Amino acid sequence: MIEARKLAKRFGRIEAVRDVSFTTKRGTITAMIGENGAGKTTTLKLVLGFLRPDSGTVAVAPGRTGYVPDRPAYFARLDGWSILGLARPHRGRRGPGNGRGHSASVLAAARSLLFDPVLLRRLPASYSAGNAKKFSYLQNLLIEPDLLVVDEPFSALDPPSIKCVRDVFCGLRADGKTVLLSSHMLAEMEKIADGFVVLRRGQTIAHAGLREWRLLRSARPGPDLESVFLRLAGL
Amino acid sequence: MLDAALLAMTWRVMRRRLVSSPLAAVACLAFPAFLIWAVVGHSYGTAAKFFFFLLPHVFLFAAQDAVRSDIESGALETVLFIGGRFRGYLGAKLFIIAIAAGAYAAGLFGLFAAWGLAVGGYEPAFALRFALALLAGLYYLALAGALSHFLRAGSNVLVLILAQAAAVFGLLATAASRPGLIDYAASGRFPGPGPKLLFGALTAVLPNVIVSGRISIFTGEIAAGLGLALYAQWRLLRRLEIGK
Repeated sequence: MIEARKLAKRFGRIEAVRDVSFTTKRGTITAMIGENGAGKTTTLKLVLGFLRPDSGTVAVAPGRTGYVPDRPAYFARLDGWSILGLARPHRGRRGPGNGRGHSASVLAAARSLLFDPVLLRRLPASYSAGNAKKFSYLQNLLIEPDLLVVDEPFSALDPPSIKCVRDVFCGLRADGKTVLLSSHMLAEMEKIADGFVVLRRGQTIAHAGLREWRLLRSARPGPDLESVFLRLAGL
Repeated sequence: MLDAALLAMTWRVMRRRLVSSPLAAVACLAFPAFLIWAVVGHSYGTAAKFFFFLLPHVFLFAAQDAVRSDIESGALETVLFIGGRFRGYLGAKLFIIAIAAGAYAAGLFGLFAAWGLAVGGYEPAFALRFALALLAGLYYLALAGALSHFLRAGSNVLVLILAQAAAVFGLLATAASRPGLIDYAASGRFPGPGPKLLFGALTAVLPNVIVSGRISIFTGEIAAGLGLALYAQWRLLRRLEIGK
């Protein structure tokens, strides 16, 4: 689904990413973990096309791609309904995403995320950080992505919302969709991820698929992700 | 090439912003109010001079938040703009601003011309002057749009207005003692390459001077400048990255 090879990106004198390679498979959840400044967000932005790599390549399989940023921001002066409507075909055209069907799917998706639909009449700039994040999930679920990329998936969310979002990821995986997460919440990642990409100082230092991770977990005493990460990072 | 789906989306964003912006409403009403005052207080001819000279500034003010404000707001780092679609959006935005400002200018010209026909002040040359004002306006839009890659909302317009103020003071200074640029421009004849180059520099920051229709070489300069600024925009958009 995603194949990144030897990605490098520099911002002036800062080398944000210097050798990142990984692959993700269809129907899996991959967690990208690393310290602050390890290059996770830059790597996500290279995958999504917001940045261009200085060298290396990234290939994403054809299909709809979704993205939930760490701190989502939205156009000023547009309320929630208007922003959700931006991804839809023009009002004049008939299609499955139009009219009452669209409203019903918005409400269903909002319910699944514990997002209060009343908020859609307000400007997203007035939302709390948690609701802004949930609104971003809502926006993404409506496009039915084949690949969902999420930066800090659980930041600003309360425990019930974390559970809902976790269920959303598992639901996507069950439907054969691919999820790429970048997070510091190792315990949460361990619960849901099938594979891990560990970054340190702009480099991939480990890339474990489901099979390797299961082997690692079957060892006695089974190390948790936190101890594996700390050992890899030399901390 | 402009993506039709992006154009529709950009139009929805821009329309919402314009409709809900009190500043845009005030700006749209202030210009016709000034023209009415000029016609009632002075004459239709005086109002016509103001109308054509000031019309390009409609485009200048419309270009104030073309690029940088959207980038810095973080609103382009969403699912709507992945895969480099933010470049298409910013290109489409410039196109929509041009269409919206052009439609406003055309509507205003229609009303102004109808008033002129009613009072007997309309001249056939007004159509040419309107076309020249549109050219100057598009030049402003392309120039301020290119500047807005580097300057925040409003600063790009402010830089141009300050440059214009400096140029106008310089122009007035040349007119004080001897035949100056104003006289040359009024007659359409320049005594040598020096004054021509100087007036060319003035035209580059104050393209409104071409609306008189008497100085065709400078109209060519603005047309070339428009092409150059659009090319610069295209290059800047192609290189643009989000979230550095």
